[in-house]
Amino acid sequence: MTLFTKPQCSRCKQLKDRFDLAAMRVHVEVLDNNNADSLAHLAWHSLIETARKTLPILVLDDSSTIDDFSLIENQLISRATQYGINGRDSATKKKNCPSGACSL
Amino acid sequence: MVEIKGFLETSFLDWRGRMCGVMFLSGCNLRCPFCHNHPLVQSPESLDSLDFDALRIKLASLKKWLEGVCISGGEPTLDPNLPAKIQQLKKDGWAIKLDTNGTRPRVLAQLLADGLVDMIAMDVKAPLQQDKYDQCAGIHVNLDTIKSSIAIIKNSGVDHEFRMTVVPRFHSEVDIINWASFLGDDSHLTLQNFNPQSTMDPSLSTDKGFPPEIFSRYREMISRLGIWH
Amino acid sequence: MGVIMQLQQKGKKDREVSTVKGETTDLALFVRTSEEDITGWNRHRIVEALLRETYIDPKTAEKISIEVENIILSGAVKTVTGPLIREMVNAKLLEKGLERARRMHTRLGVPLYDVDQLLVHPNKENANVPHSPEATNLTLSEGIKKEYALLHVYSADVGDAHLSGDLHLHDLGFIDRPYCTGQSLEYIKKFGLNLPHSLSMAAPAKHPEVLLAHMVKFAAALQSHFAGAIGWDAVNLFFAPYLEDLGDRQVRQLAQMLIFEFSQQAVARGGQAIFSDINIYWEVPKHFENVPAIGPGGNYTGKTYRDYEDQAQRFAWALFDVYKEGDASGRPFFFPKPLVHITEKFFKTEGHMDFLHHICDVAADKGNTYFVFDRGDTAKISECCRLSFKLEASDFEDAKEPWRMRYSALQNITINLPRLAYKAEGDDTKLFTLLAEKMMLAKKGHQQKKRFIEKLMSLGENGPLSLLAMKCDGQEYLRLHRCTYLIGMVGLNELVKVHFGQEIHASDEAMKFGLKVIAHMNIICKKLNEETGMKFVLEQTPAESTAYRFAKLDIAHFGERARKVVQGCVEKENMYYTNSTLFNVGQTMNPIQRVEQEGLFHPLIEAGSLTHIWLGEAYPDREALADFVIKTFKYTQNDQVAFSPEFTTCLDCGKTCRGLHSTCTYCDSEHVDGITRITGYFTKVSSWNKGKVGELHDRYRNDNQFMKTA
Repeated sequence: MTLFTKPQCSRCKQLKDRFDLAAMRVHVEVLDNNNADSLAHLAWHSLIETARKTLPILVLDDSSTIDDFSLIENQLISRATQYGINGRDSATKKKNCPSGACSL
Repeated sequence: MVEIKGFLETSFLDWRGRMCGVMFLSGCNLRCPFCHNHPLVQSPESLDSLDFDALRIKLASLKKWLEGVCISGGEPTLDPNLPAKIQQLKKDGWAIKLDTNGTRPRVLAQLLADGLVDMIAMDVKAPLQQDKYDQCAGIHVNLDTIKSSIAIIKNSGVDHEFRMTVVPRFHSEVDIINWASFLGDDSHLTLQNFNPQSTMDPSLSTDKGFPPEIFSRYREMISRLGIWH
Repeated sequence: MGVIMQLQQKGKKDREVSTVKGETTDLALFVRTSEEDITGWNRHRIVEALLRETYIDPKTAEKISIEVENIILSGAVKTVTGPLIREMVNAKLLEKGLERARRMHTRLGVPLYDVDQLLVHPNKENANVPHSPEATNLTLSEGIKKEYALLHVYSADVGDAHLSGDLHLHDLGFIDRPYCTGQSLEYIKKFGLNLPHSLSMAAPAKHPEVLLAHMVKFAAALQSHFAGAIGWDAVNLFFAPYLEDLGDRQVRQLAQMLIFEFSQQAVARGGQAIFSDINIYWEVPKHFENVPAIGPGGNYTGKTYRDYEDQAQRFAWALFDVYKEGDASGRPFFFPKPLVHITEKFFKTEGHMDFLHHICDVAADKGNTYFVFDRGDTAKISECCRLSFKLEASDFEDAKEPWRMRYSALQNITINLPRLAYKAEGDDTKLFTLLAEKMMLAKKGHQQKKRFIEKLMSLGENGPLSLLAMKCDGQEYLRLHRCTYLIGMVGLNELVKVHFGQEIHASDEAMKFGLKVIAHMNIICKKLNEETGMKFVLEQTPAESTAYRFAKLDIAHFGERARKVVQGCVEKENMYYTNSTLFNVGQTMNPIQRVEQEGLFHPLIEAGSLTHIWLGEAYPDREALADFVIKTFKYTQNDQVAFSPEFTTCLDCGKTCRGLHSTCTYCDSEHVDGITRITGYFTKVSSWNKGKVGELHDRYRNDNQFMKTA
């Protein structure tokens, strides 16, 4: 499972704060101006256009993708349960991105 | 033994209105001098055989793109495993188009009765005159089988077309008109122009197709008769 | 240019003439000057030239002139040429270590032999240039301007990188022009044809034919100010307000006029057809829906473009009727290229399936149609071989007054990717460092061209770019601050082959590595944008001659290593690198895989990409093609697709048939020429350069269903 994120993206941060992604074996890709690997990986999954509209994006092990934030949350919650990890409650739950940085 | 000797993963021209994959089976009971796929007929051992299941996997990867699978040849109805192959492809969710020369009406009837075919294209070689047909098929043909296949296909209710490759050496304008009127109003006759590249009979390689303007006149003539869709 | 000065020595043979200091030798010498005059020998001319053109001091200049004069006198020659005198002076400058002065004093010109060759033999760098006196004028002037650019516009490191084949500065012979432009008809509809220094001024057109005449003339004027393509946005829509009173036959007639006018403009600059593109929409694009429509006389019609859907569709349909028919001998039209935009709204617009079948019919029959995919809210103007300008926020603002919409790319610089792989010797870090270095060099080259164009533009309406400096709407026609700077690539496939050991299509890993290279380039562009405030974007270079040039230079520089990598046949000299990020053109690969996988690169290449489907002789079913187009839109990230059939046209009987044949299928004549798409447009095969002929031979045509047993 791979989560595509961006450094200043508040929604990405929210997920990172809330879940122990490493323990859940969710690979986190950070899209910034120094990371061609992540960008190439994003292109491999045909997700560049999607990422230009919204981030984060979750790619499941069967290569299907989720870009709806609530669905990503749900997916991660069930993944956490599966790995016996408790998700931390996020203090600031925001659906919308105030910074405007939640896209590529 | 009939084997799969060729596979075109994406065809834009074998099934009107659809993108499809095309399998080519070896062996044929005719020897049409203008045949293009003659290595399939005369020297199938010179071509690689392809594994049916491997092709199914390949087709599955193209599932959302293709609208069907065309089985061509050679003459596929000679393959005793044809029904089994089609059944498997049907199980995989594919619509099936069959290319045939109409010499095996009983096989056709059975395939149709079992609902295994969604589209049939039958190659008709010449008007139903023994000498002409034999000449174009390169071998003696029992015309009753051809007549019976035509009847079966026309009455099947399945989408179909009759195709005739027209060769200046063998076909005249009158032949074409006769054929069209014999098949009748709903014949779905399509014409293909002879192409001298790689023919079974090498002496035809110096022949030419009908000049394009004449060929398109024939096509238009048939469509004006209201029998070419 | 190449004016030959003659110097004839009529003086005494014993050369007893003294060279009195400060005086020019009294020789009965005559010099044929560049002013087409014969004047007496005057050594001071050398001094004057050195003082005027270089920085050296009068004393040195004097000394050099005397030395040169002595050499001339000591030789047994009776005739010397002007270039020779100049080169002798240059030799002296070199001798004295005055290298900078020598560069400044360089003569740009063409050897006699080259001119002779040129006037007699066709130019194959650009298949769009026929062989004619106009065309050779173009080549000669390009030659001089190219030298000028390399000496005077670009710094030595950039110029050397070009000459050695590390990168390619495109259109050096057009150093004083931007690369290409895309605009809407609204500019001439609103302002008429009011060009600086023209003899007459035309008010906005009142009739559709006149609008067409304005369009063609404006395109010709633009062609002589840009190096490359001239594109027009939403042509059918912007013509629509003029079509309301026209019957179907008249609309058809207008469509025919438009296409013939553009396809026959080979009478224009350099005997070169205008590389013209017309963007066509079946729907009224969202960003034009509420824009007040301009109609006859440049007046607002009181309606918005939303109300002109019917007329626009009628015109679009008629244009494709004309494409379907082809020219008088049934050949496909080479220009203008029709680019149909497939958008979300396209599928919501009534009649779209019929139209799609119509344009697919043309694609199958003549190959003209380009399918441009604008997914989501994307909108583009497309032109050139594949270039497109993606509309951004400020552009949508412009769209409210569409005459403001004009987009230009100032220059294109292409990186030789395979060479990076030879140099990196398998080391990733080295490869990406080299890539960054070459892109920095490309940036520098772009900045230098920008400064040069800025200098010309600053001369305003009295300068050479007066047309681009005109300010009908308050802004200069060429809005320099909004120009883009293209960085292209050639031979990603061969880079991956050398560095990774497999061609791109061969495995997922090879593909991923290819993506990584392009992702790198994409990211470097973004960094350069932040650093310079200029807009650098990646483009798939059409590389009509660059693919050959790089391959040839790499064989010269890297020998056996390059020989093993280049495509085509080295012995026949038709070697080439695979264009841009395309896959091996000969690879047996079904069109679905090709659009999907080549399409993975397209979102990283923001200034435009294209996948070719070569059709050869096959005549596909239009509905099957339509299905393919729809699915390409839905299932892939592919930016643009074109289907390319092949034709043979007979030079004796004049007829054209399908497929590439060695003889005419009508009259058996061997005097035939092939027609098919080269990089992004149709042209005659006889005009192709060797590398592209090699590629044509290799192209996979979706027909290789049988594998011969080994």
